[in-house]
Amino acid sequence: MKQELFVQRHQPEWNAFEQWLDERGASAREARKSRRGWHGLADADMPARYRRLCQQLALARRRGYSPVVTERLQDLMQRGHGLLYRTPAPRWRRAVEFLVAGFPRLVRAERGCMLASFVLFWLPLLVVFAAIVWTPDLSSSLFEPMQLREFEHMYDPADPARKLGRDSGTDLAMFGHYVWNNVSIGFRTFASGLIAGVGAIVVLITNGIMIGGIAGHLQAVGHGDPFWRFVAGHSAPELTAIVIAGGAGLRLGLSLVAPGQKRRIDSLLEGGRRGALLCVGVLAMLVFAAFVEAFWSSIAWMPAWIKYTVGGVLWTLTAAWLLLGGRDRAHEDASA
Amino acid sequence: MLDTYREVVTPEGVALHLPAAGPVPRALAWVIDFLIRMAMVFVSGIVFGLLGRGGFGFQAVMVFLVYWFYPVLFEAMWNGRTPGKRALGLRVIANNGAPVGWLAAFSRNLLRVVDMLPFGYATGLVAGLLDPWGRRLGDMVAGTLVVHDARPHEPSPAPVKHALAPSVALRPYEQAALVAFGERGPHLTEARQAELADLAEPLTGARGTAAVTRLYGIANWLLGRR
Repeated sequence: MKQELFVQRHQPEWNAFEQWLDERGASAREARKSRRGWHGLADADMPARYRRLCQQLALARRRGYSPVVTERLQDLMQRGHGLLYRTPAPRWRRAVEFLVAGFPRLVRAERGCMLASFVLFWLPLLVVFAAIVWTPDLSSSLFEPMQLREFEHMYDPADPARKLGRDSGTDLAMFGHYVWNNVSIGFRTFASGLIAGVGAIVVLITNGIMIGGIAGHLQAVGHGDPFWRFVAGHSAPELTAIVIAGGAGLRLGLSLVAPGQKRRIDSLLEGGRRGALLCVGVLAMLVFAAFVEAFWSSIAWMPAWIKYTVGGVLWTLTAAWLLLGGRDRAHEDASA
Repeated sequence: MLDTYREVVTPEGVALHLPAAGPVPRALAWVIDFLIRMAMVFVSGIVFGLLGRGGFGFQAVMVFLVYWFYPVLFEAMWNGRTPGKRALGLRVIANNGAPVGWLAAFSRNLLRVVDMLPFGYATGLVAGLLDPWGRRLGDMVAGTLVVHDARPHEPSPAPVKHALAPSVALRPYEQAALVAFGERGPHLTEARQAELADLAEPLTGARGTAAVTRLYGIANWLLGRR
């Protein structure tokens, strides 16, 4: 068939398809609203029309029709393809389901990396803490004297008017600061795992040493009480989130170094998908932690036993959520 | 590295040609986006600054959103285009030609952290030059691709009315080349038209303007104009 005849015969069909794409393809909600007023190509016919178009494009290519025709058809086809194969919009129900069940399941599925990350973070933390409590002089080899004085100043038990762990600033300001700072650290921990996991390992160990060092120093100089009262509440979600971000980073690094029987790119795609899902959970945990840190941890007048009880409850809840969440539906894939 | 088309075969068995974008337009798009982000942070800083100390918290959240989620939101909700990409005619799509999803947009932008190492997107640039489709590491891991948007060009009728049957049977790609010449040749200068037509001397048996006329005639015949 000659090109002109081909075009002449199918042009109305293509135009109807294009018009449908222009007016109804953009938003499903809009399309549903204006269903009654629409007189062009019926929605139900669209997939069939799309497949016809694909066939016509293949024909046009095979018969050597001009680029003007094939490009027009390919353009239409690409738009149709994008519409038929787009990823579903996120739904609130699925988001909640993911946080309650899918995320803990995903964490358990990566238990090897999570355990490694846990050890990489907690071992230096505890060792440094114990060492500094044992011989307090060690802290001066870890921090500058200026920094040490600042830490001591922040958790000064002799200054009851001050909020715990704060120089100044309202709770709201600190909330914003914690979100920006902590979530950024979490995201960087994950992403730097792509450098063969080295980035994530470095971040985990440095953070472990720093936190252990500060805690050990404050304990050693006798400022332990305000410090522990301050961190009791938000430590559970915050430290766990950092460990999970590190685990996700290790997973990504492992996909690069040890792809196993997959192609390396496929292994990375899988590692990236799971890592991004884990980061969604890390984001939620760190925002929650920032909320607790800003609005609860800094309340100075609260008796210590309430603070420690709340801290214990949060640790228990975090552990229970991660260990038990989504147990009942163990085989469902956690894709959000 | 030289042929930057990515050919994707769709479930219907038809090949889509996706023209991958190189580092220069992508960098320019990034600069435009960067300026927009700076402006957003600046303006919100003034607005929240009026609220006093609490405003600092809103500002920090704003900086956080602009830093981490500006590209994610635009790419996922605006059909793969941030304002900068739109200005440069670029679009992010999934490897298989489908629109980019939320998760892929999120992970490709998270991994900018690595592509930025050690400074100025050097890692991303090297990865993009080594990859046949110019993808940086974040694109590879997220399974995405940055492509040029198609620019439609209108056909213009050949300036010759008669149709002329070719003297030999033509292969499909030869037919396609002749038809393309018929449709796009009129945009070229006369000298260039003649130069191109000279290449087909074995077919037309002529040179110069005569060859151009004959080629248009053959194109007309192939298109079915009688």
